[in-house]
Amino acid sequence: MTLKLFLRDHAYLLPMFAIQIGVSILVYWLAGNQNIWIALYIVLLSACLLLLFLTYRYWRLSRFYRRVSTPMTKLDDAMQSLGDAPLATALDELLRSQYGQCQGQIHAYERRIRDHANFINQWVHGMKTPLSVIHLTIQEEDDPIFHSIREETDRLRRGLETVLYTSRLGSFEHDFHVEPVDLTSIVRAVIRENKAYMIRNRVFPEVQVDPSYRIYSDEKWLGFLLGQIVTNAIRYSDKPDSKISITGRIRGKDILLEVKDHGVGIPSQDLKRVFAPYFTGENGRVFSESTGMGLYLVRQICDRLGHRVELESQVGVGTTVRLYFSQPYTDVR
Amino acid sequence: MFKIMIVEDDQKIAQLLCAHLERYGYQAFPITDFNRIMEQFGDVQPDLVLLDVNLPKFDGYYWCRQIRLQSSCPILFISAREGKMDQVMALENGADDYITKPFHYEVVLAKISSQLRRAYGSYAAPQKERTIEAAGLLLYPERLKLSYREQTVELGAKESALLQSMMERLDRVVSRELLLNQLWDDQVFVDDNTLNVYITRVRKKLKDLGIENAIETVRGSGYLLRVTWEA
Repeated sequence: MTLKLFLRDHAYLLPMFAIQIGVSILVYWLAGNQNIWIALYIVLLSACLLLLFLTYRYWRLSRFYRRVSTPMTKLDDAMQSLGDAPLATALDELLRSQYGQCQGQIHAYERRIRDHANFINQWVHGMKTPLSVIHLTIQEEDDPIFHSIREETDRLRRGLETVLYTSRLGSFEHDFHVEPVDLTSIVRAVIRENKAYMIRNRVFPEVQVDPSYRIYSDEKWLGFLLGQIVTNAIRYSDKPDSKISITGRIRGKDILLEVKDHGVGIPSQDLKRVFAPYFTGENGRVFSESTGMGLYLVRQICDRLGHRVELESQVGVGTTVRLYFSQPYTDVR
Repeated sequence: MFKIMIVEDDQKIAQLLCAHLERYGYQAFPITDFNRIMEQFGDVQPDLVLLDVNLPKFDGYYWCRQIRLQSSCPILFISAREGKMDQVMALENGADDYITKPFHYEVVLAKISSQLRRAYGSYAAPQKERTIEAAGLLLYPERLKLSYREQTVELGAKESALLQSMMERLDRVVSRELLLNQLWDDQVFVDDNTLNVYITRVRKKLKDLGIENAIETVRGSGYLLRVTWEA
């Protein structure tokens, strides 16, 4: 590859060389020196010189040619030295300045994204205080109006939560901590959080999770993603007094957690895309509050935490979401 | 009576917390001047401190450390930040527990009473027993007893919770939602049918005391407690 490029780059030398030799021999010939052997000798000698020149040039510039003929795999490649030939150093300098420019711009954008994430974080936390005030003020009230206000504040709270976690997804690496987690207590916490939402929609959970189940996960993120699945189950349970079953089982080496509702289900043509961002599908047009972000976030978080998520659904029958977790190694001593 | 100091810069939240704590028999002291927290701490000598993280000038962690220099009373953080690191920070700076916003009164009360019990023992400085009274009918939610005139009956915990909600809203409809909210706990998710069962039991207990037809069913919304007995 390198040699080929070098030869192609120097191909123009051959006709030049041929013309030069031809002219020289012609001049000698016309001057009366009509000896074929001398002419051939000149050709041979010149060819040797040319070969020598090319070899030297190749030796000098081989690094340059190798570099030019291989594509860059990462931005840092631009910093490799190309050799000390004038052409090589010139290109070196060019690449370096380009690298600097790119780096500068990337840093600027990274800073902007980080600032934005910080801003969102601050802002969401700021909004939680007025939400708390509303929440506390009406907590003891039992008028239909207050139930309606409570419903809306709950929606706001869930919305804020989604904003917060979506913005954190970008810096996930610095924000999670995998450890053995008690599955039952997380399920309970998620149900507690959605208690009012369930009662309002007349949906009742059935929990069957063995208290001994422990899994490897991050408590906070797992709580959030389970919350997304459970709120979906509540939202799409259209019949009053329907059940949501949350069941834990051992599946080979893994623990399987199943969240099953008896709601509207997802049309089969939408099933393939439910995990895509902003995809709301048929149900999104019928039910309000569909952002298309819930299941996308679930999939993203599962991928990062190393959990597997599956979804099965049938229109009119219900939807089942299955999560597979790996278990922490148990100490057998 | 236990004294609880509230360090929260949102005045409304501080007021709501104060009012609620006082209803449950605590003496609440909201901080008003955030430059002089330690002076006020010294004046009040509270048994427990509720502390916000985001405060003007210095944050809650700073004040927590300052309080710890003087006292070992329980300190509960209340904050909108639910990150693990924030909780770790709070505990490392000497706090005893952490509550995240938006919170429920029940959670705050439960954590307060468990901290107080741990710090001062269950019999130290007994508070006045809570009673709920409705036209001569007396409910003792801590002892699960209901008395009217000279008679007393025992109640189940859920029955007591139901009666309390209805007695606090005498002559007003109490929604099924509110009652179900009261009955749910971490293990038992009561549905409408079970609620009916509990209501029937409460009616029977009232009947034992000679009170009849006091609980009316309001179709489609809930129940209503009407004074059908003589005060």
